[in-house]
Amino acid sequence: MSGPVTAALGAGSGAGSGAGSNLGAKYAKFRDASHAALGETMTAQVRRAIAQVHGLDHAPGDNGARDDPPADAAWLAYARRMPFEHTAITDEEAAAVVAELGEARYVAFSVVAALADAECRAARVDLPGLTA
Amino acid sequence: MSTRPRISSAIPGEPAQFSNGLAHQPAIAASFGDLYAAFWDSDVLSARLKEVARMRNARVTECGFCRNVRFDKAMGQGLGEEIVDAIDWGYETSDKLSDAEKAVLKFTDAVIHDPELLTGDAKSALRRHLSPEQIAELGLGLTLFLALAKALITMGLEPEMMDRTVLPTPAAVEPA
Repeated sequence: MSGPVTAALGAGSGAGSGAGSNLGAKYAKFRDASHAALGETMTAQVRRAIAQVHGLDHAPGDNGARDDPPADAAWLAYARRMPFEHTAITDEEAAAVVAELGEARYVAFSVVAALADAECRAARVDLPGLTA
Repeated sequence: MSTRPRISSAIPGEPAQFSNGLAHQPAIAASFGDLYAAFWDSDVLSARLKEVARMRNARVTECGFCRNVRFDKAMGQGLGEEIVDAIDWGYETSDKLSDAEKAVLKFTDAVIHDPELLTGDAKSALRRHLSPEQIAELGLGLTLFLALAKALITMGLEPEMMDRTVLPTPAAVEPA
């Protein structure tokens, strides 16, 4: 998995060296750490759920593999609210996700979901194309 | 939107806020800190233009913490409050903002609000004022501003009250 931000930083740095390449490597490390903390399967499920809210079949950079999440998971409904309703998520909805995941994993989930939303948005404006 | 923390501090005895909440995941916190410092340290895109985009994101996402923080590097490049005040709805007609700043703001709105705003004219303006390397860096900044603001808000880590606060620009920690 890479995604539009990594692709843009690679393209924007020309031959792949310099500031863009350095930032690209650091962004990849942050992204990978977030995904590892949540776990590969759930990361893919969260990213796909959010991509679908944006009208995309799968998250940018993901391979489109399907591993359906439990439909009644509190975290799934919560993730779907991240793109356009983040200020409307209630304390009760958050508490249900914390109860499902535990506090530390909820932190990872929050970062992964928010990053997925931002990457979908970067893809929808074709960030890599703008830097080509 | 809640200002009641939905997580505890990972550091015993401290009230929950963003940095000690993120510390529940040390690898995420460390890699984000390293990335964010490098981003602000890079001068490919000026700190002033980065801060213009960050302030716009703060308004649109309703991140009160983000909106009240100022980074000193951008202030040193002339980003005063009269310019920050102009980063509001109707910025297109402001005489306080440069054409480059307006192009950055339009792109910011397209990313964080509505991609349809990136019309042919808006795209041309962006490319006229920014190089591909600068657009890439702006794209990274917007990704981080948006994602971290939403993570902060949804974890309930918005402060109830906060004065405008000037902070040192994030920077890499020098090895001892």
